[in-house]
Amino acid sequence: MSNGRASSREWVLLTYRLPREPSTPRSAVWRKLRKLGVAQISDGLVALPAAARTREQLEWVAEEVTDAGGIAGIWLARPASRAQENKLARAMAGARAAEYQALIAATAVAADTADPLTRASALRRLRNELRAIQRRDYFPPADRDQAEAAVQALAGLPAPQQAPDDRARETIGSVRTPADRPGRAAP
Amino acid sequence: MKWATRERIHIDRAACAWLIRRHIDQDAEFVFVADPADVPLGATPFDIPGAELSHHAGDCSFETILRRYDLDDPVLWRIAAIVHEADLDDQRYDAPEAPGLDVVLRGLSITRRDHEILRLSGPLFDGIYEYCRRALLLGREPS
Repeated sequence: MSNGRASSREWVLLTYRLPREPSTPRSAVWRKLRKLGVAQISDGLVALPAAARTREQLEWVAEEVTDAGGIAGIWLARPASRAQENKLARAMAGARAAEYQALIAATAVAADTADPLTRASALRRLRNELRAIQRRDYFPPADRDQAEAAVQALAGLPAPQQAPDDRARETIGSVRTPADRPGRAAP
Repeated sequence: MKWATRERIHIDRAACAWLIRRHIDQDAEFVFVADPADVPLGATPFDIPGAELSHHAGDCSFETILRRYDLDDPVLWRIAAIVHEADLDDQRYDAPEAPGLDVVLRGLSITRRDHEILRLSGPLFDGIYEYCRRALLLGREPS
């Protein structure tokens, strides 16, 4: 058509309105939307990049809104400009970045815990939390890798002095045999 | 009987189809539609927004079907917990199997078409049923 280049992707939008009272369904819907990592475009209008799964997830929320006496609609749309889409994507990436940073801070606290049992249970909790954030991460910021590395380090329980050594070995290794470590970016 | 659900099935719909065929209607015939309005006349819709056999009050469609058809087999309810967590991941149940099963069905949904996913996942759910049945009987993990 006359849309020009494939400038923007398709998004699935949920428009919804819920009665102010009772507030329980309102907060239940809001919790669900937060968990899905939606971009809030304006009051009662949220968006996710369109895919079979995201569309279905928003359809269930729409159903919940209707069940609670509200009105809801599901739309497929394209931002008219790439700038508008970038803004949306940046906002979503920024929200995830903040969550990853909070997770990294929590990992640092857990790493300082001497009791191995406490640390093990913190690790379980942080892994779940990381998985939950990654599930709603549609535009991965650099913080994603940092958070993964932080949780990984907590799992490996490396002695503090070992970290620089490891890094040194990795550098040497990657210089000599670049194909040796697939999946790891050269430092 | 004819049953209809949304195309591009995933864990909940695949599990529902298995449940329907094994425990409700062994001659069940499944139709996959793109739009709820395309459900053929006389077909029973499931896991479609607006349908009775769908998500309700926090239940996934598998749980709704168990309730509507009074299926109180504890093994099916254990499978319901796994399906619920794989589909909704809201920590209502403790089901560590869920993320693995989720990946299996997501992978199939990429490589296979709906009818074939039913054909392939049927024996998988039969196996899960037997595993859960033995686990419940033994009170521990079956070997």
